[in-house]
Amino acid sequence: MSSHTLSLVLAASLAASVAGCVSVAPWERGRLAHPTMTTSDPTGPAEAHARAIQEGATGGGFEAGGGCGCN
Amino acid sequence: MWLQLRTVGRVAVLATILGAAGSARAQETSPSALDVRASSAIAGYADTDHVYVLSPTVGGSVADPAGGWRLDGRYLVDVVSAASVDIVSTASRRWEEVRHVGSVGGLYKPGTFGIGASADVSIEPDYQSYTFGGSVQQDLFTKNVTLLLGYEHAHDIAGRSSTPFSVFSRTIDHDAVKGGLTLVLDRSTIFSAVADVQFENGDTSKPYRYVPMFAPGIAVPRGASVDVVDQLRTSARVLEQLPTSRNRYSLAGHVAHRFDHATLRLSERLYTDSWGLHASSTDARLIMDFGDRVEAGPHLRFHAQSPVVFWERAYTMQPAFDFPALRTGDRELGPLLNLTAGGMLRVAVGSAQHPRSLVLGFDLNVTETRYLDDLFITHRLSAVGAFSADVEF
Repeated sequence: MSSHTLSLVLAASLAASVAGCVSVAPWERGRLAHPTMTTSDPTGPAEAHARAIQEGATGGGFEAGGGCGCN
Repeated sequence: MWLQLRTVGRVAVLATILGAAGSARAQETSPSALDVRASSAIAGYADTDHVYVLSPTVGGSVADPAGGWRLDGRYLVDVVSAASVDIVSTASRRWEEVRHVGSVGGLYKPGTFGIGASADVSIEPDYQSYTFGGSVQQDLFTKNVTLLLGYEHAHDIAGRSSTPFSVFSRTIDHDAVKGGLTLVLDRSTIFSAVADVQFENGDTSKPYRYVPMFAPGIAVPRGASVDVVDQLRTSARVLEQLPTSRNRYSLAGHVAHRFDHATLRLSERLYTDSWGLHASSTDARLIMDFGDRVEAGPHLRFHAQSPVVFWERAYTMQPAFDFPALRTGDRELGPLLNLTAGGMLRVAVGSAQHPRSLVLGFDLNVTETRYLDDLFITHRLSAVGAFSADVEF
């Protein structure tokens, strides 16, 4: 995939995503604050290591906070 | 070897017991402004290709939610014992190794802007890896949107077991850039997207991996046994040789939706790289509440990938030792399908006031791998299981 194509895909994804977003007030985020609603990968270290070896692909994890109603 | 396994296992069990004891004490004291947690886990891996791994882990974190900072660290040991068909096919003995991994990380996010840093060290007899990274993140629109930009550099030193790095070593450098965003779609749903670009430079060829060579016109069936390969192959012993650079790209989307008593998490990752490997990984988890103290649910994952462009089941050697410049026996670079099914269980066993001050966990995932164009084996069944204890002080 060329960097130009990748940029287009990213821009399209961002535009589509933001367009579908609604504003949820902090006091409406009770469900979003549940511990299972974090954006971090729930995979444990052993499973992650096995996956890294068994799959030829990598990346895709996301560690940013926010959004969930926690800090 | 087994003495080593027992010793490492005892350390993890002891850490789990100490953590539980600490939790009991913590329940008798008033809660602190700091969020202090410790975790311990012992995990095991086994597969039908005779590879076994035991991995004890201890970790901890300190966070000040009001101050907006967090520090965490983890130490992990992998004790590996392998007698896979790749080892047997080179008439080598069972291979055993211990890997030590330490990692620390931190995040400072007092308001809408945050900055994070992490460092990892991985040491094994013939391979060392040093990684550091940093990231920034920005909340927008009253935390309905979060943007992330991260960078990571890894410096690896690959050697040969029982040979000093000063005599034989190769260096591999990785640079990775990550960009992403999280969106609050509604009161119950979060979406995140992340793009990774990674550049690897260095020779990642395994110095132990010999690739069998065949004369032109020899037909070698898929999954041919070691005996059949030995009968058909030439006598030449040719080491693996991979390209010395690799650019890797991935784009992933994650959705998490909270129902009244369950959370559904779905992920899809698309991947491609400059070696011609294309892959799709789809992941689904359902985490259900059973009362206030128990969470459990299934996990499914499907991974499919095409081979790298220089992949061949049977490499052909022309007369005068003219063999392909690029060749590999790493079947994770070949075409394959992985189907994983498993689940998790979390039981909060803390006091009535703080039930989550001690959470015991169990995870088990079983993966069936289908190798579509390989020598020696056509499939592999593997299992990863882990017992864990998470303590909140």
